[in-house]
Amino acid sequence: MSGINKNILRSMLIGSYIVVIGFCIFGISAIYGYLNTGADRSSILHTELKKADQYLPKTTWAPLKNEGRSMDDQTLKMIENDYLDAWYVKLVAYRSNKKRGIEDYYTNKARQNIYNAIDLNLSEGTSMESTTLEHNPTLEFFSEDGQLVVLTDHNVIEYKRIYKGEALLLETSEVSTYKVILLLEDGFWRIRHMVKQDTQEQKKETGLPVFIESKNIKGINYYPQATPWDMFGVGFNIETIAKDFSIVKEAGLNNVRIFIPYDDFGKAKVKADKLEKLKQILDVAESQELMVMITLFDFYGDYSVLDWTLNHRHAETIVSTFKNHDAILAWDIKNEPNLDFKSRDQSIVTAWLEHMLTLVKSIDPNHPATIGWSNDESAIILKDKVDFASFHYYKKIDGLTATYKRLKTQIPNKPVILTEYGISSYNGFWNFFGNSENDQAQYHEKIQGIFSDNEIPYMSWTLYDFENVPKAVVGRLPWRRNIQQKFGFISTDGTKKVSFKYISK
Amino acid sequence: MAIKHTYLSLLILLFLSSTTIVDTPNEIKCITTQKTFEAGEFIELLFSTTQNTFPGLYCSHTYGSTIITPIFKNNVLYYEIPSNIGNKAGIIHWKLLESPLYGQFTITPKTNVTTLETYIGPPSIAAGGSDFSMMVVIPTDALDNPLKDGTQVNIKHQFLSSEENNEILTEHLISYKNIYSKKETGRILITSECLNEHSKEYDINVLAAIPTNFSISAKRHHVYADGNQVTTFVTSILKDEFDNVVNDGTFVDFFITNEVGNILKTNGSTIKGIATATMIHPDHKSRWTIKAFVNGMAESNVITLDYTQVITDFDVAVSKDNNMLIIGPLQSFMKQMIPDGLQVTLSIYKENIHIYTSTKGSRLGFAHFNLKDLALKKGNYNFNIKTAGLEKTLQFTKL
Repeated sequence: MSGINKNILRSMLIGSYIVVIGFCIFGISAIYGYLNTGADRSSILHTELKKADQYLPKTTWAPLKNEGRSMDDQTLKMIENDYLDAWYVKLVAYRSNKKRGIEDYYTNKARQNIYNAIDLNLSEGTSMESTTLEHNPTLEFFSEDGQLVVLTDHNVIEYKRIYKGEALLLETSEVSTYKVILLLEDGFWRIRHMVKQDTQEQKKETGLPVFIESKNIKGINYYPQATPWDMFGVGFNIETIAKDFSIVKEAGLNNVRIFIPYDDFGKAKVKADKLEKLKQILDVAESQELMVMITLFDFYGDYSVLDWTLNHRHAETIVSTFKNHDAILAWDIKNEPNLDFKSRDQSIVTAWLEHMLTLVKSIDPNHPATIGWSNDESAIILKDKVDFASFHYYKKIDGLTATYKRLKTQIPNKPVILTEYGISSYNGFWNFFGNSENDQAQYHEKIQGIFSDNEIPYMSWTLYDFENVPKAVVGRLPWRRNIQQKFGFISTDGTKKVSFKYISK
Repeated sequence: MAIKHTYLSLLILLFLSSTTIVDTPNEIKCITTQKTFEAGEFIELLFSTTQNTFPGLYCSHTYGSTIITPIFKNNVLYYEIPSNIGNKAGIIHWKLLESPLYGQFTITPKTNVTTLETYIGPPSIAAGGSDFSMMVVIPTDALDNPLKDGTQVNIKHQFLSSEENNEILTEHLISYKNIYSKKETGRILITSECLNEHSKEYDINVLAAIPTNFSISAKRHHVYADGNQVTTFVTSILKDEFDNVVNDGTFVDFFITNEVGNILKTNGSTIKGIATATMIHPDHKSRWTIKAFVNGMAESNVITLDYTQVITDFDVAVSKDNNMLIIGPLQSFMKQMIPDGLQVTLSIYKENIHIYTSTKGSRLGFAHFNLKDLALKKGNYNFNIKTAGLEKTLQFTKL
């Protein structure tokens, strides 16, 4: 007995000894590691400033007619960078009421004004989430020694959300004009003086609604079978897409709805190869006489105010590249944004959509724009801003007629298009009471009847059954993934399911 | 009966509620009519209200935005604009929360100047009347606001006997004046004045413009190519086209080309317009052609110098023990021993194959090469000796 006790005591002693030694070694190595760290000396020279895209408001310089020294492009670019950075650090400072970064972009006296504003907001418990969407600077003056500029920044569009504690007090968009004096100090163009000249509430006009011939819209949501939700990735194959488009065409449909993943396309700096792939798709669609509805911002869910300018540059590049393509039917700003209402706050998502609609329509006034709401209740949000309302319907088929009629009375002047509907033919282990392929066919037969009775333009979900549905779409849960795999009209082995007969009328 | 009463009361309720809806916007009114305030003034916006709510006032100014909470007294809401907003000139945009009311007012800068923020550059300019420096003056008030556009600023400057005053009106928050040089070099003194506030004194240096072409001359102690004395080259006084002596330190390069086309280079900086440079004499007969440049700006005339050969001949001998090769005496133009340091080169060939070269400076008129240290093998050698442009060959047999 005592022998066992002794052994326990021994092992405890040895164990504690190992632990103490371990701590000592860890402590010494931590001190050694700390003493060996330090700023890289080259950082003194500001040579390694890597510029990440954080804030890219649309900036349009007026033609240069300034007084004083003539301006060169490189200096102007430097001024623009530092001036926008000055805005950015200010916006960040007001969001958190912290003073970090201000001293880099405001001179000694000017930064005091911002510190005062921060102190005031801190004491009041107010904070501000804001961004600027547009700057239109005019260079007024550039001094002979190249150390001072005066510019007038016209019609700066500022979007602000003012909070008291957690509560949102006000959401506002203003258009303001500022006169700014910047000095070149320590290699930075710093704001020395700033005077607001004018400010107005932003009139959010989306322009005249664009008419869409909706009666004949018979469409389908499309992903290639092998690469669902990754249409533009390494598996991109234009021949597969061309073949699929001819199937769609032969089935009697006349348009497809496709999705542009935000991250995959390169966020603010849209990648050229992705644009090229999209162009190929549109060209193929055009040759098949199919129209394409492009859904932007797939897999995007941030919406935070400081991210907006990046989103705008993304949309701007894509829309301006393809606004004259004959295959474009419409722009769908975002797929099912109402699903983000809970996690991201409805007001911020709606404001994001509204500004994005304004932007897309300002770039492309000739194609209609819409928002692909995931249900009929949401379809009335921003109904005055979209050119046509669109919604998705996965509820009981019997309610569709009434739902559509209600929407038509709620949105009397604009077409209402059903851009997603469908039913899964999965009835395996995870859902014994699911629908068979015959049930699916019946559903499509019946719904086509409803469409023709009520003149509902439609786009079904989807052409193919998929073998792999990414986690990001429906999550990991097998009873969700398996159902999502079986929505297609064509099964994974390429044979047409019974429902294919009812893909269009 | 009960139905009738219920119906009537419902009707009244409906009527009342509808009237309250209609009346709501009228219940809060802005009663401050003043639209313009001076920076630093006490600013308060007043709203009359019949409601018992105290909405915040959103206020957006140049540097940011905030929400102001009111003080309520006798059915009036008092919104005091915080001093950090009231101190800065610009448009202030306000919006009353929970109501459709919004509006603006302007804060103007104070009308007296506290600081004349002055920027001058470049600090030195060239004479001649085409180069200029720029003075930028931003008159600011005590609260660091630039004064309103159209404020008169007097920019005065003095140069030699002239004194000028320019009246300039501020535009885009600033005023500026280009100050041109005159033909003379010197110092321009500048000052500015605005609304009786005077700046301190600033200055701009007017330096000479780029030099014009110049001439050079050479000074030497004798004409002999003794490889020992130095020749000094001197420029004329370098001046710009307006007769101003160029700045001290203007760099002049002298290029010396000898008779075979080799180029020697020397240089000097100007002091009071004159640059000097030196070059050691050649050690053999030579003709130098010299031209000087101020790089990219001006050049001189070409001068030619001839150097006369001093050593006409020399002896070569091997010491009795065959261990030492003795060259000399090397004699200069007055038969004096040539000053130490004349280069003598010995090249040794064996059956026309070069095996060794050594160069030594002369000492006391002689050059010695220690043959013992070379440890030559037995056989016949050709010794070739070069000095002062002369060449001699000697047969040597190692036993």
